[in-house]
Amino acid sequence: MSTPLSLSDLDLPRRNGELVFEAPWQSTVFGLAAAVVDNAFGGDREPFRQQLIKAIAAEPARPYWESWTAALEALVGTLPERPAP
Amino acid sequence: MSEKGHHHPAPLSPVEHRVAALEALLTERGLVPEGFIEEITRRYESEIGPLNGAKVVARAWADPGYKERLLADGTAAIAELGFGGPEGDHMVVVANTPAVHNVVVCTLCSCYPWPVLGLPPSWYKDPPYRARMVREPWALLAEMGCPLPGDVEIRVWDSSAEVRYLVLPQRPPGTEGMTEAELAGLVTRDSMIGVARL
Repeated sequence: MSTPLSLSDLDLPRRNGELVFEAPWQSTVFGLAAAVVDNAFGGDREPFRQQLIKAIAAEPARPYWESWTAALEALVGTLPERPAP
Repeated sequence: MSEKGHHHPAPLSPVEHRVAALEALLTERGLVPEGFIEEITRRYESEIGPLNGAKVVARAWADPGYKERLLADGTAAIAELGFGGPEGDHMVVVANTPAVHNVVVCTLCSCYPWPVLGLPPSWYKDPPYRARMVREPWALLAEMGCPLPGDVEIRVWDSSAEVRYLVLPQRPPGTEGMTEAELAGLVTRDSMIGVARL
């Protein structure tokens, strides 16, 4: 990088050549996990992190966002059943 | 979710089906507010990223008092610049010196300082990086284009449940006259993970 840039010139977070999400389902499952953390666990990320560690350990070669999906499925399985209407 | 394609949407893959089922279930249970996913995606795609970390690094280079605060209490000093939130609750900033090179990994999953670097790059989440950075940092750093002189000590920081690390790279020589904004333009994401030097 030879020319100094002003902050407004910077196009981040893509400037390092990598998209954040490669497909819409990845951003969806990312957002779903964030919603569950916020709205079912009071912002505590640790229960999801523990599920993600387990999901990655179970199938280390599985693509990352698929492990993320498995972790969210497992976490959702720990939620109490919805009260009957 | 929006449909892919105009006339012949591709059939959903198994994982897309699973995500759609999760979305339906969680929405039905009232856990996904209207517009939540679109908003958080937009923020991580266009607002929250390595530029935040670059601003922190540039401030530390330009202001010795800030650097001192940053190394003493990363979370508080980063909050001074307005950055905080998920995965940034306990930030520890580790400074490179001529004798010490720091590099960050998460061996168990993908812990990463979101408020200052955004979401992690794919290689950070992949098994080879997670395993090899601990086992053979010299070789891996060299493969990643960051060979280090033999007399430099490499410190590998494994992100844990609470702590998220950010590397403070050394200020490049010849940048004495630069403004803070110009300095921020020099700072790369990889240098703040520790897999590149400036």
